[in-house]
Amino acid sequence: MVSLTIDGKKVEVPEGTTVLRAAEMAGIDIPRLCDHAHLTPIGACRLCIVEVEGARVPQPSCTLPVSNGMVVRTDTPQLRESRKFILTLLFSERNHFCMYCQMSGGDCELQNAAYRQNMTHWPLPTNWQPLPVDASHQHFVLDHNRCILCRRCVRACGELVGNFTLGIMERGANSLLIADLGVPLGESSCISCGTCVQVCPTGALIERASAYRGREKEVERTKSVCLGCSVGCGVELITRDNHLVRIDGDWDAPLNQGVLCEVGRFLPLNEERERLVTPLVRRNGALKAATWDEALNVIAARLKPLAGRRGDGIAALASTRLPAEALHLFGQLFAEKLGSDMVTSIEEGMTTAQPTALAQGLGRAFEGNLDALKSADCVVIIGANLAENHQVAGFFVKRALPKGTKLVVIDPTENDFHRLADYALKPQPGTDYELLMGLMAGIVHHGLAKGEGPSLSELARYTPDIVARKTGIPAETILMVGHLIAMAHQPVFVYGKGLTGKDSSQALRALVDLARLVGALTEDRSAVIGVKGEANSQAAAVYGLTKPFQVDGRQALFLALGDDRPSQRLIQRVEGAPFLAVQASYVSPLTAMADVVLPAEMWAEQEGHYINLEGRLQRARAALRAPEEVRSHVSALQALASTMGLTLDDDWKARLQRGVYSTPILA
Amino acid sequence: MSKPKVSTDWLAACAGCHMSLLDMDERIVNLVEAVDIRATPITDLKEPDESGVDVGILTGAVNTTTNEEVAHRMRKRCKILVALGDCAVFGGVIAMRNFFPLEDSLRRAYVETESTDAEGKIPRSPELGAPTRVRALNEVVKVDVHVPGCPPDADVIYYVLTELAQGRMPELKNDKLHWH
Repeated sequence: MVSLTIDGKKVEVPEGTTVLRAAEMAGIDIPRLCDHAHLTPIGACRLCIVEVEGARVPQPSCTLPVSNGMVVRTDTPQLRESRKFILTLLFSERNHFCMYCQMSGGDCELQNAAYRQNMTHWPLPTNWQPLPVDASHQHFVLDHNRCILCRRCVRACGELVGNFTLGIMERGANSLLIADLGVPLGESSCISCGTCVQVCPTGALIERASAYRGREKEVERTKSVCLGCSVGCGVELITRDNHLVRIDGDWDAPLNQGVLCEVGRFLPLNEERERLVTPLVRRNGALKAATWDEALNVIAARLKPLAGRRGDGIAALASTRLPAEALHLFGQLFAEKLGSDMVTSIEEGMTTAQPTALAQGLGRAFEGNLDALKSADCVVIIGANLAENHQVAGFFVKRALPKGTKLVVIDPTENDFHRLADYALKPQPGTDYELLMGLMAGIVHHGLAKGEGPSLSELARYTPDIVARKTGIPAETILMVGHLIAMAHQPVFVYGKGLTGKDSSQALRALVDLARLVGALTEDRSAVIGVKGEANSQAAAVYGLTKPFQVDGRQALFLALGDDRPSQRLIQRVEGAPFLAVQASYVSPLTAMADVVLPAEMWAEQEGHYINLEGRLQRARAALRAPEEVRSHVSALQALASTMGLTLDDDWKARLQRGVYSTPILA
Repeated sequence: MSKPKVSTDWLAACAGCHMSLLDMDERIVNLVEAVDIRATPITDLKEPDESGVDVGILTGAVNTTTNEEVAHRMRKRCKILVALGDCAVFGGVIAMRNFFPLEDSLRRAYVETESTDAEGKIPRSPELGAPTRVRALNEVVKVDVHVPGCPPDADVIYYVLTELAQGRMPELKNDKLHWH
């Protein structure tokens, strides 16, 4: 510990702490602009200068480490004058006219900093240099005129997202924020995660959708969970008058710590589907508005006689975006109470059935959590496209690369991670198992095995030459990759539905063997991560909704679609069902062909629990009020059950503690 | 002691700051009791007394040579000069013009406006003075009190004038300080 004095206060902080953070710990707030709690300090804005006894000139506190006996003053008349001067330079440099900026009035950190110094004006003439406005991006606008070159966006893009799109060109007064080598943002390598917008202290980067729709003091914030995929990032839903204005990454969420991807931040704001606001029942061939009782009675009358019939009874299909509470009721109602043999989820367990079965075979969970990526020195991604799905997990991988972490990507289909990889392997489709066996054979052959693996006689059938012929990957590459993985101290394996979406589970089995062989799966370390699919894939697995879906011969189909977008394939498979009831939030081709439609809450209106890919149980909170006739999935299913004279228990949590899943459920 | 004399005038502005002054409602009666309001653009007397006033208030940015004359006259005739509103303090909305060549913005405003017919003409007359680069008031004359805001609240204006009336310099901070 180091002890120092800040503004007369004795402070003790760990060695390496900066003066700025030490002051924060002592409850002293030093003005700052370029500083951000989640970014490396760079001392760009100079607003955080402090006087240090013995130092000739003021020092930037954000980059100054504490030392023993240091005496620091953060607020003296000279410092206040210097801060005013620094702010004057910032204001006069570009076009900082508050009256036409959406951040003005509390949201702009530059304006707030000026207010804090009681600045009524800036005493230098403005430098009337018109700078371009880059409006080429789909989701946000970059106005260079309002940029103060604090480089928060540059750091966020590189340090948090690992994308390194943003940078600064030129020096001094000519400095300009650029994307790549100076191309418009909309044509750059930007992946539209919007983290840069979230960290911008001024109006230089503003969102198209939320700009001018409400200042911080006029909006409400609700902490919730993103339902974009199974990563389950923490979000803050920003609403005003029951409208969704913006989505921020939750800095306090331990999982994503503020970052989000395009799917989580922007796509929900561009919702254009028509909302279902009342139950509908088909009468004389056309869907007509009905009461809940009417709609439930029609469904009950159709389903009740089919109870207990197998093969030609009821088929029930749920979205994996539904909360655990609803999935529990869904499974209970259709499988247990109505005895249907075709109760599953839209994902059909494609990402969870094999891992769950394997875990049950092993008698233990074999998957770890995303934190493993932070300390990984070698990451192997197999059958997962982290550039498009589960992008935040991809950010964690990309963040690690500048630290020297090696990356191996195995996928027959090229994605953006191939070009980042030390080894990008595109094996022949369907040869993952052979490739993994080949890697293991090489590792064992070189005497690099750290744990147990398949038997030698089994591996003997997968010599590099045989595997090379089968997979199309040169034998030498297979040996090199095996060597790379085996030499790593902290290897991590990330797999997706490219590996598990097949009939045979032997590839997954081989991956787990490989992980064990190189020490990534031991008693106390699980560095195998299955990225799964939708927000509640794992909960669907817990409630047994993982069967392949078949509608053939079933006389009635109940589809709890929620706010999911039905795929073309699903629509085709459901077409022609003798009776179709759909519980959904939006109008879709599925609701158009339904016999009964029940209007249900969409993601931002519902309360409920989600289990992410790591088994983390998280609570999603309602930020919006649903239209009057719209019900939650839970209450709709309860009402349907009671219409049929059935009672359902709502103890959704009990199942989580029982049973073995691929990942421990951290309830 | 006689009441301090106050004169106001506007330069290139939308008149919103003067409207905001009137927003103080019945408090204007207190104000009239505290100060002697002389020339304003909305009263009959248009020019500050030649014998001088205690407080001169200017709203708007300096936009033409005429504005310059008005600003210099006010500075010469007042003891304390107040720049009232964002245009006077910073240049304001009008200063957007500085990002374009002057002739381009005049043509856009008088000739190419959607509502202008083929007769559109840029007005040029000695009375209007020659247009210049838009400047904040403190680039042209010395300013004693800056009151930002677009417009400043009636509360802020009332506070500033009553402080000046009582011989104190107003201090704008916290809820009295806003730039928009």
